[in-house]
Amino acid sequence: MKRSGLIFLTLMLLAIPLWVHAAQDYTFDLSEIEKKPYHFAGYIEARPVFYGLDTDAALYKLRFFDNPNRQALAEINGRVKLEGSYEKSIFRIFARLNTDLQYNDHTHGLERTTFYEAYASAKPITSVKIDVGKKTLKWGKGYALNPVAFADRPKDPDDPDQAMEGYIVATADFIRSFDGPLKTISVTPVLLPVYDHVNSDFGQNNNLNFAGRLYFLFYDTDIDVMFLTGASRPDRYGFDFSRNLTTNFEIHGEYAWITNHRKTVLDPSGAARQVEGEAHSFLIGLRYLTAFDLTAIVEFYHHSAGFSRDEMKNFYSLISRGFDAYQASDDPTGLGRAMQLAESGYARPNAMRNYLYVRLSQKEPFDILYFTPSLTCMINTDDQSANIMPELLYTGITNLELRLRAAVIAGAGDSEFGEKQNDYRIELRAGYYF
Amino acid sequence: MFKKICFMLVLTMAVPFSAFAVDGAKLLQEIDRNLSPESYESYRKLINIEPSGAKKEFTLFTVKKGIDKVASVFLAPASEKGRSTLRLGENMWLNIPNVGKPIRITSMQSVVGGVFNNADIMQLDYAEEYDVKEVKEEEGEYLLLLKARTKSVAYDQLKIRADKKNRLPTKIECLTEAGMLIKTLYFKGVKDFGGGIVRPEVIETDSPLYKGYKSVMITAKIKKRTFKDEVFTLTFMPNLESLR
Repeated sequence: MKRSGLIFLTLMLLAIPLWVHAAQDYTFDLSEIEKKPYHFAGYIEARPVFYGLDTDAALYKLRFFDNPNRQALAEINGRVKLEGSYEKSIFRIFARLNTDLQYNDHTHGLERTTFYEAYASAKPITSVKIDVGKKTLKWGKGYALNPVAFADRPKDPDDPDQAMEGYIVATADFIRSFDGPLKTISVTPVLLPVYDHVNSDFGQNNNLNFAGRLYFLFYDTDIDVMFLTGASRPDRYGFDFSRNLTTNFEIHGEYAWITNHRKTVLDPSGAARQVEGEAHSFLIGLRYLTAFDLTAIVEFYHHSAGFSRDEMKNFYSLISRGFDAYQASDDPTGLGRAMQLAESGYARPNAMRNYLYVRLSQKEPFDILYFTPSLTCMINTDDQSANIMPELLYTGITNLELRLRAAVIAGAGDSEFGEKQNDYRIELRAGYYF
Repeated sequence: MFKKICFMLVLTMAVPFSAFAVDGAKLLQEIDRNLSPESYESYRKLINIEPSGAKKEFTLFTVKKGIDKVASVFLAPASEKGRSTLRLGENMWLNIPNVGKPIRITSMQSVVGGVFNNADIMQLDYAEEYDVKEVKEEEGEYLLLLKARTKSVAYDQLKIRADKKNRLPTKIECLTEAGMLIKTLYFKGVKDFGGGIVRPEVIETDSPLYKGYKSVMITAKIKKRTFKDEVFTLTFMPNLESLR
C-alpha cells in the first residue's frame, strides 16, 4: 500500500508539469527553432490535365498530324523536388533536384531529372557573398515576363511562380547601406561560361560571358541596371524599377536593349531568312490592392523583335501545307521544317510583339481562410486573341496546396492563341511540401 | 489683495496637476521599449485558428534594427520555409525562394493569411508611426488614443490600454479614420525573457471582419542584438537564415 502510494504520488508529480503545459492555450517548443547545420526538404506534386483539342488549329496539326480527328487528351503529370543544404562556418552548399514525369497515350511516358540549382557559397562578411555553381539569378521586376532576365531561362507566363532551372555561373553580391535618400547599393558581377556540357543551351559554344547588375534603393524606389556581354548571345543592356506609390499601389517596369538580335522569319511562300537588328523590349506594370482584398496585377509587354502578325500567319500556312501534304502522300518534309521553326521561336510563349497580362485574385472571399480564387488573362493585343485562366487555390491544410484551374482560349483562326492545340484545358494540382 | 491670494491659491493647486500630468509621447516610448529593445532578434510562432478549431502554424525568426528596419524569415511549415520579408520604414518586400526576386507587398496584406497583416508581423515602434492625442488614467491602467502620422500607416487610430505598473499594453484596438474597429490585440502572459526584457508572451487578435477566426502570436525568445545595415537589404533577404 505504501509502495503503491509512492508510485501514485510520483506519477502525480510527474504529471503536473505536463498538466501545466497542457493548461496553457498555446505551446512553443524551443526544439522547433533549434538550428541544424544541414537542411533537407522536398515537394511532391500530382497534376492531372484534361485537354479539349482544336482539330483545326495549326499547333494541333503539328503535334497530332498522325491522328487528325482527336477531340481530347488526358494527361497525368508528376513532379518531385528534393533539396538539401549543409553549412559550416562561412561556407554553405545547396542543391535542388527536380524530376518531372508525364504520361499520356500520345507521347506515352516522359521523365526528366535535373538539378535546378546546385552551388557552393561563401559569406566571409555580411556584405559579401560568393556563389559558384548552378543558380537562378532572377533579375527583373515583372510578374509574368522579365525582359531583363538576361542570365535566366524564360519564365512560364502561365505559371510564373514555378521554380526554374538555373545556369552554371560564378557570381558575387557586394552590399553597402547608407543613411539618406540612397539607402542601398549592391553590385552583382556574373561569369557565365558556355562550353560543351556547360550551359550549352544558352548560346554559341566555347565562350565566357560576363553579366552584371547594379541595384539601388533610392528615394524608396528599387532600381536595377544590368548588362550581358559575350559571344554566346548578342550584347544586351537594361534597367528595371519598382516603387510603391501608396501602401496598396505599386508600379514597376523593365527595359532591355539588345544590340544585334537575330531571328528566322518566313515569307508568304514559306521561304526562311535570317533577320538581324536592334531590339527593344519593355514591360510596364502595376499591382493594386483594393480595400476588399482584391489584388490586381496588370502588365503590358512589348518586344520589338517579336513576330509580326503576317510572319505568324506565314508560319501557320507552312504547317497547314505540310499537314495537307502528309495527309495526301505521307510526305513529312513540310511538317519537319515547321517543327524546326517552332522550336527556334515560333511556338515559344509570347512570341509576338504586344501583350497585356491581367491577374485578379481575391483573398479569402466569404471569410474562407486560405482560399484564393483568381482570374488570369494573357491577351495578345496584336491579334486580339487570349488565354483566360480562372483558378481556385486552397492552402488551408498545412503543407498541402490544392489548385483547380481551367484555361480557355479565345481567338480567331490565324491568331496566336486561336492556333494553339487546345480549345480549353482543365487541371488539378495537388502539391505537398515536406 | 484678495485677487492676489486667489491667484496664488489657484497656482498652488495647479502645481500638482502639472507636475504629475502624463507625458503621452514619453509613455508611448516607454511602452515600445518595454515591448522590445530597439534592436533585437526573436523567435515567434503565429497560429491562425478557424471557427472549426482547425489551426495553421507558422514559425518566424525576426531581426530588427533601429526605428525602421525589420526582417523576418519563415522557419516552418515546410511550405513556407525560407520565405522572407523585409520592412524599411513604409517599404515592404516578400521574397519567395523558388519564385525569385523580392516583390513589394503592402502593409494591409498578410503573408500568412488570417487576422494578422504584414504591419502586425513586421511591427515598428508605435511611437514611430503614431502621435499620442490623448491619455486618460483609469483604475490601474492608462488609456492612450493614438493617431497615425501618415496615411500609409496600416491603422489610422489606435486605442491602447496599458498596465500602469509595468507600462505594457494589455489591449489595443485598431480603428479606421471613421472609428470603425478593424481588430483587437490582447496581450497576455507577461514573461521574463532575460536580459531585462519582461513583456507579454502571447498576443491574441480577433476582428469583426473575420468573425469566429482568431490569430495568436507567441514569442519564444527575444534578445538584444545589433546588426549591420546591410542585413536589411533586398540582396541579403535570401540569406536571412544565416543570422541564426
